[in-house]
Amino acid sequence: MLKNVNQRIAIVLAVLSAFYLILSYQLPTYPYIPVDADAIPKTLGWLLLALSVGLFFSKDRDSEEQKAKRHIPKKDVISLLVVFLFVFLYITFFESLGFILATVLFVFSSTWYLGYKKHLVNAIVSILFPVILYSIFVYMLQIRLPAGILPF
Amino acid sequence: MGALDGIATGFQVALSLEGIMFVLIGVFVGTFIGMLPGLGPISAIAIMIPITYGMDPTMALVMMAGVYYGAVFGGSTSSILLNAPGISGTVASAFDGYPMAQQGKAGKALAIAAISSFVGGTISVVLLMIFAPMLASVAISFGPPAYFALMLLGLSAIASLSEGSTIKAMISAVIGFMIATIGIDPQTGTARFNFGSANLLDGIDFLVIALGLFAIAEVCYLIMNRDKKSIGSAKEIGSLRLSKSDFKEMSGPAGRQSFLGFILGILPGAGATIASFISYITEKKIAKNPDEFGKGSIKGLAAPEASNNAATSGAFVPLLSLGIPGSGTTAVMLGAFLVLGLQPGPMMMTDRPEVFWGIIASMYIGNIFLLILNLPLIPYIARLLTIPRPMLISLVIMFSFIGVYAISFSVFDLYLLLAFGVLGLLMRMFAFPAPPFILAFILGGMMEQSFRQSMTISGGNISIFFENNISLVLIIMSVLSFIFPIIKTIRTKKKEA
Repeated sequence: MLKNVNQRIAIVLAVLSAFYLILSYQLPTYPYIPVDADAIPKTLGWLLLALSVGLFFSKDRDSEEQKAKRHIPKKDVISLLVVFLFVFLYITFFESLGFILATVLFVFSSTWYLGYKKHLVNAIVSILFPVILYSIFVYMLQIRLPAGILPF
Repeated sequence: MGALDGIATGFQVALSLEGIMFVLIGVFVGTFIGMLPGLGPISAIAIMIPITYGMDPTMALVMMAGVYYGAVFGGSTSSILLNAPGISGTVASAFDGYPMAQQGKAGKALAIAAISSFVGGTISVVLLMIFAPMLASVAISFGPPAYFALMLLGLSAIASLSEGSTIKAMISAVIGFMIATIGIDPQTGTARFNFGSANLLDGIDFLVIALGLFAIAEVCYLIMNRDKKSIGSAKEIGSLRLSKSDFKEMSGPAGRQSFLGFILGILPGAGATIASFISYITEKKIAKNPDEFGKGSIKGLAAPEASNNAATSGAFVPLLSLGIPGSGTTAVMLGAFLVLGLQPGPMMMTDRPEVFWGIIASMYIGNIFLLILNLPLIPYIARLLTIPRPMLISLVIMFSFIGVYAISFSVFDLYLLLAFGVLGLLMRMFAFPAPPFILAFILGGMMEQSFRQSMTISGGNISIFFENNISLVLIIMSVLSFIFPIIKTIRTKKKEA
């Protein structure tokens, strides 16, 4: 039944709109307000549901170009996932390690992982950029970035 | 303040030492990011926003505007040299620019692109100076119903921002609007869709969306294409010199298409990409030798280049005078204004003339800088493109992180950024266009407020939108501009069948 990818997406979107609609109908309303906080969300929820039905029955088919765009070679999927993991760790340690340390580690390791071989250049760039940016933000713009375990 | 006084104030801002410095930084960064295939003006502007925190808002916006038109200017370099357009507005420039480069005339092609862009940029700034104040003086009397209708017109752009499937563009916009409803409702104080989390009470910051859907998602594509070629040494570029006959040949298309590009830039949804294609097609239709197009024609390169730059200034007309963005990029520009505590619109011309006129005047200076950057210096700037992609990827992620963290000081927002990056990647994979999402996200919140304000004024009577002539005309225009592209698509499909 679900022959093409658009139909599968349409189902996901319909579920999403149903979920959004349920939440919209739970929003509190007050008397004497012509258009309350729930009106626009309800409209949007029904609109998305209608559009997902439209997408389900639409005759738009995937072009070859789109199919090619969606096809990601296995090695790229792995690279993407590893970089996402790096990013995830970067976020997790962003405040505890501090901006400088976390960023140096992230920039160096992900640049290395993605295939850059000149390690000395990589090390210089991944130390200089975070240090300079940290100084600009914290000392010039007075915007606090997490110091973490470093004393400054 | 009269227009002449305003222009004088603008030039005072633009020609101050600070003004010149920030224009130069803006256009340089814009040229550079615009050149990089994959990273477009939306990412360029969003990445630059954190740098403006704490800066004088006028200077910050002068710089951001420079990033925007600089990106369109610089996008042509990679179109010509790599056949990999830096931004979508320069796709048409590759049609004739790349064949020229292959014939060993890359320098000539870059010179034509730079001069045509300069012509387009300069003519359109003059037009912007004339039209923006005119429109602002009309819009000053607009009430909530007219504003709602205006935003509807801005939102009608989504039909033309679709890349093939209108329904997907609409879905993208509706989801963008839904995301805008998260957080406390400013009218009643009701918390909506925050799932009990205090982090979501203020809603999701637009920078999280802009950087996630664009910068992070584009980085994902860079990761997948990181082994592709980059520009080699400057030796390959060749002479930049143009002959008299070259100038003669490009003057017609560059002049004509500057006007057309400007008009298309003003219209919601049209923007640089559509303007460049329409200009290319028009020149091809009226050319004596249309067969030359696609094989390295000077006219075929000059037309889209003048047009895309003119459209960029055109897009500033509704943004500055009405405060309404008509495209994804101008929506992010509007976000930049709001981050800096400024509300563009008709009042800005009288309340903050130095910002209004400063931005416009700075564009003259910016265009001159761009010409210098893109003519004699282009061989050296092109070397910057040899930055290894792995490093570029890591640095873009880092810049996006600083941007989001410095606005919210919240690690939660960084996770959200990652989530929107994944969403942006999925949207690209399944051909859902991202510009309607960001446009609806930014316009959605404003639209909901003006709709509800109008309804409060009228006591719940919807006829308020049709009583006022301005809002009636605007609503009719939005309906037309929404339906027209759909009818056109159906017609082409019928013809194909």
